[in-house]
Amino acid sequence: MDAHRDTCQIVYIPDKPPVAPDQQPTVNVFASVIEPKHANTLIRRLNQIAPLENLRHVKRIQKKKQAEGGKTELSVILCLAIVDEKGLNGFPVDVQELVNAYNLSPFMAQVCKYAATSKEEWEEQCKLWPTSFHPPTYNIDGITGFSEEDAQSVLSFMKMAMKLAKSGDGSILNAAVIVDPSVQQIIASGQDQVFSWHASRTKASGGNIPVRQSESVRSYSDSNGAPAALPNGSLITPENLLVEASCLKPWQWSKKPSDISNPCYSHPLRHAVLVAIESSADRDRRLFPCSEDNEQNCLEPMESSCADSPAKRQKTSLEYVEGKHSSPQTEDSYPGAVRPYLCTGYDIYLVWEPCAMCAMALVHQRIRRIFYALPNPNAGALGSVHRLQGEKSLNHHYAVFRVFMPEVLDIVESGKAANGIC
Amino acid sequence: MDFPKEEGDSSKTIAYMELAIEQAKDALNCLEVPVGCVIVEDGKVVASGRNRTTETRNATRHAEMEAIDVLLEQWQSNGLSISEVAKKFSNCTLYVTCEPCIMCAAALSIIGIKEVYYGCPNDKFGGCGSILSLHSSSFQPLSGFSFFVP
Repeated sequence: MDAHRDTCQIVYIPDKPPVAPDQQPTVNVFASVIEPKHANTLIRRLNQIAPLENLRHVKRIQKKKQAEGGKTELSVILCLAIVDEKGLNGFPVDVQELVNAYNLSPFMAQVCKYAATSKEEWEEQCKLWPTSFHPPTYNIDGITGFSEEDAQSVLSFMKMAMKLAKSGDGSILNAAVIVDPSVQQIIASGQDQVFSWHASRTKASGGNIPVRQSESVRSYSDSNGAPAALPNGSLITPENLLVEASCLKPWQWSKKPSDISNPCYSHPLRHAVLVAIESSADRDRRLFPCSEDNEQNCLEPMESSCADSPAKRQKTSLEYVEGKHSSPQTEDSYPGAVRPYLCTGYDIYLVWEPCAMCAMALVHQRIRRIFYALPNPNAGALGSVHRLQGEKSLNHHYAVFRVFMPEVLDIVESGKAANGIC
Repeated sequence: MDFPKEEGDSSKTIAYMELAIEQAKDALNCLEVPVGCVIVEDGKVVASGRNRTTETRNATRHAEMEAIDVLLEQWQSNGLSISEVAKKFSNCTLYVTCEPCIMCAAALSIIGIKEVYYGCPNDKFGGCGSILSLHSSSFQPLSGFSFFVP
C-alpha cells in the first residue's frame, strides 16, 4: 500500500469551471485619458452617475507611465459600453455632459468581468485594465490543502467506500460512507439499492435497512471508531465485474431484465447517497429520541438565528445524557454527544461523482465535504454535467474533492472492460 | 402549450391542485414545511404526499418522494414488473404546490413521469427552470398558477 502513496492525490473541485488565466471573460467599457488635476472631481462624479455595480474588482482609474519623458498618464472608466440590437449605445446624458465639459476623448477598453480567484488570474487581468485582488479565505478544511494525517484519513475512508461498492453478485455499485471527521467516526453508509429495495422492511423497522453494510464497514473500525487498516490491500479485483452504479445511468432502471429469483422490489431512486442519508437519519432518531412532549426542545430550530445558540445546544445535550444514562449505550453513541442538525459538519465518501438528484440531496442534508473517486461524465452534478457547488442561490454549500488513488484504477479498468462506461 | 385547452381540463387541474394544498396544510399542521402533492393516473388520484423532513430528520423526504414511494410499493406488491411500473409512471401527472427542487426534478425525470403542474416557483432551488432545468421537453410546468397556503 505504501508503495503507491505518492500516486494518491486529493484535488479540490472549485465552484467555477477552471478557465485559463488569459481566457477570462471580459466586458467592454468606455474610458478616456484625463488631466491628473481633474481626477478627484471626475471619479467622484462618475461614481455617482455611472457606478460600476457588478465590477467592484475593477479599478476606476489606470495609471500608465508614458515611454517618452516618463510622464504618468491617467485614464478613467466612464461607463459600460452597452451593445443592443440597434448597435452600440451612446453615453448616458450625464456622462456625455462630462465628456463635453472636460473635453475628453473616449475610447473603448476591455476589463475582466469577474474578480480574480488566483494571483495568476489577477496578473493577466491587469494586462487589460487594473483590478484589485483579495486572495480567497476559505472556511472549509482541505480547500487549501491537507495535512499528511488528514490525507491518510481521507484515503482510508475512501477505501471503505470502494470496498462497500462491491456487491454480492460481483457487480460494482456506487457506495457512500458518511463520516464525522471531528471524531473520525462512521455515521452511516449505504450502497445502491435500486434493485434491492426491501420495501416492507422499510416500513416495519422505520427505514433501518443497510445494517449488513454498516456492520461490514464497522468491522474495520477499532473500538474508538477510528479507521484501522484494511486486512489486506486488495479491494476490488478487475475480473468479471459489471459497473451498475445508479448515478452513472439513472434513467436505465426500467431496462434491466426481470430477475424472478430476486425477492426484492426495485426502487429507481434508492441511490447510495439517499440510502446513506436515510441511514444517518435513522441513527439520529435512534440516538436522540424525542417524545411528542419534548419534541420542541429537541428539534434544532430551522432558522440559523437560534441554531447557533450554545446555551440551547448545551441544554439539549444535557437532557439527552441525563435521560439516557441508565439505558445501555449503543455502539453508535459517544458520551456528551450533541445532536447535530442533519449532517452538519459531516463528510461523505462516494466512489462515483453523484447525479443531480444525489448532489441536491446532499445540499438538503447539509453535508460539509464530498469526496469522490471517479467522475460521472454523463450525469455527474459536481463538475461533469452540472456544478451544483457553484449555484449561489442554494441555501447550503459544500466543498467537493476528487480523490485519486491506485485502487480506483481497478474499477475504471473493470468498468471499461465490462460495459464501456468511464 | 402551458395551459389546458378546455374549460373542463382547467377546472380539473384546479381541483387536483386543491387536493395538493390539502396535503400541504396537513404538513403545516405537523410543523413541516408546507408542501404537498398528488399523483394522478387516468384522471384518478393514485397517491398523495407531503413533506416529512422534520419528522424523519431526513431532509430528502419531500412530498414528491413520499408519493413516489407509495406507488412503487403498491404497484410492485400487486405483482407489477419493473417495466410495467415504468410504463405506469409514464402515464402519471404530478400536481405539487411548489416547483420541485433540483433533487425532486431529477427524481421525477428518472422515474419518467409524464407531466408536472406546480403552484409557486421556487427561486432558491427550483429544478424546473428557476435554477436548473432538469425536466425533459415532455414536462409542462404550469407557471401561470400561483397558489398560496394560508
